[in-house]
Amino acid sequence: MSSHPAPEELLLDYVAGALPAGPELAVALHVALDPASRETVDRLTALGGALLEREPAGAVDAGLGTVLERTLARLDDVPVEPKPSSRRHRHPGFEWAPAPLVPHLRPGMDWRRVMGKFDEIRLDLPGDFHRVSLLRLESGRGLPEHKHPGYEYTVVLQGGYTDETGSYGVGDFAVGPGSVRHEPIADPGEPCIAMIVVEKPIVLTGPWGRWLNPLVSRGLI
Amino acid sequence: MLSADEAADLIEAIATRQDRAAFARLFNHFAPRMKAFIMRGGADAEAAQEVAQEALIMVWRKAASFDRTRASATTWLYTIARNKRIDLLRRNNRPAIDVEDWLTFFAPEDADADKSVLAGQTYTRVKELLSGLSPDQLLVIEKAFFEDKTHTAIAEELKLPLGTVKSRIRLALGRLRDALEKDES
Repeated sequence: MSSHPAPEELLLDYVAGALPAGPELAVALHVALDPASRETVDRLTALGGALLEREPAGAVDAGLGTVLERTLARLDDVPVEPKPSSRRHRHPGFEWAPAPLVPHLRPGMDWRRVMGKFDEIRLDLPGDFHRVSLLRLESGRGLPEHKHPGYEYTVVLQGGYTDETGSYGVGDFAVGPGSVRHEPIADPGEPCIAMIVVEKPIVLTGPWGRWLNPLVSRGLI
Repeated sequence: MLSADEAADLIEAIATRQDRAAFARLFNHFAPRMKAFIMRGGADAEAAQEVAQEALIMVWRKAASFDRTRASATTWLYTIARNKRIDLLRRNNRPAIDVEDWLTFFAPEDADADKSVLAGQTYTRVKELLSGLSPDQLLVIEKAFFEDKTHTAIAEELKLPLGTVKSRIRLALGRLRDALEKDES
């Protein structure tokens, strides 16, 4: 069990499908690496199934039979896919990437040195207002002390780091307001690789800002 | 009604012999429920019906990836409805995490598949548990699942402190865990 699991209410948001793409991916990576959180997610998913089963059955008003006929007609063009193989393709150089990350990796993606201190790969999640990055820190190196508006989600994928709040190893999850200053330093051993998801500091001002910011922050506009 | 075992049989019949009659039975049972489920999130009837239809077509396509030792049929169907609903909400071309992935993520290579809490008996217990939650706990859980609201948004809407919403969620999950662990021991 991980010493820093994702909070349960965030796992609920994840299972319910309420998270924007960036935090959703961070939680998915954590869940792939942490059996205890996976178990919580399994239970919550079963809860979702139970709620679905309790839904009223009378809601297809246009005539269930007609809709079924139309759907059956479409099946002619839809093959039943063969059972997927359990082993996944791994990109060379990204062997540490858990399965949920693999679809986001592209051949030729490479680390970019930032400020001479750490390496970064920006991931592009269209339609999301989060900045999603993979960061790599050599052992003993630190990120510059930083803070930013909005929430920050971190999941460790290789190695580990230590900051004022504790030590984080593979699969560990951290979430908190980015306004808290912190200075993570990579632990001894292989380089620390982590995915960091940061809410972009978009704050609208002016008379409409107060009404629009909640929509911006939920990714609705 | 359709029991969890019957639903699993139907999905397997699609996987092994493209059984259209099995598909029709699944459709009749689940399409209305999925539609109702999706409408609770604010979708109109037409959009919800379309999403339910797409979800059932995905059931057909992905039937072979269903594994009854790992998930009850309803749980598996929930993940499909959930992902289709996310697709609808995001309306960009980036699909939510693939359903197939959704189930394979949860099986790290060294995991003991037999221990999955998604399997059938557990599901029955979860259903019983729902009726045992307090109205306050049930409200928060239902808002999360049906209205795809984050716990932060739920707190805002109910004008409750965030801590209160978190503790209701944790209490509900604690009951869920207790009930299931009692079963497993």
